[in-house]
Amino acid sequence: MKKKFDPIEGRNAEIIESVMNCPEVEGLSEDLKFKIRLCVEEVEENILDYSGSTWVDVSVDGSTDVLKIVFQDGGVEFDPLSNPEPDINAPLEERKIGGLGIFLCKQMMDSLDYHFENGKNVFTMVKKLN
Amino acid sequence: MNVNITKDGAKTLVTLSGRLDTTNADQFQTDITPLMEDSNPDIELDCTDMEYTSSQGLRLFLMLQKSVSSKGGSMVMTNMKPQVKEVFDITGFSNIIKIV
Repeated sequence: MKKKFDPIEGRNAEIIESVMNCPEVEGLSEDLKFKIRLCVEEVEENILDYSGSTWVDVSVDGSTDVLKIVFQDGGVEFDPLSNPEPDINAPLEERKIGGLGIFLCKQMMDSLDYHFENGKNVFTMVKKLN
Repeated sequence: MNVNITKDGAKTLVTLSGRLDTTNADQFQTDITPLMEDSNPDIELDCTDMEYTSSQGLRLFLMLQKSVSSKGGSMVMTNMKPQVKEVFDITGFSNIIKIV
């Protein structure tokens, strides 16, 4: 699956469902789909909040044992993996919400990669399927 | 995402169903805002039919818990599905919100 969303504004649900309903994803286990949905939402939300891009390209490549999802956008250069990790042991009064989305992706995917290439942010998630 | 709020004496039962995500987090915030105005909150969030939450939902559960704790009230989340519980466990939210 490869799809361009331009403009990106207001299309959160459409972007998520495009991934969830693509042939590479729709037949996976409920547990895997839960994790994929969560990570797609978190990355997309990150792009909307920080990159300022008006568009995003989303591609999904699957084989029998690995799923790869790549997001590309034309916004400002921003590496979400460089953000400090949230302190998940902080007491209630000191807990902050920032950074939880990408932190969840780090825990739920098998690998994440970010690079800036030809004026585009390229964010890749890989999940092993077995 | 459906949110149903009922009062039983001093206790408030919030029944959640469906997916809590970026498309409905603002509405959920509106729904729970009155609960943050209770002077002595005693809240149960029944998660039997809550299928999913992203960090957008976590943000609001944290906000509600902070409000409840600041007033010396109590809040508990019940019957959480294992996949949803995993999100709370991974982020350490299980340590700051009571889940039974």
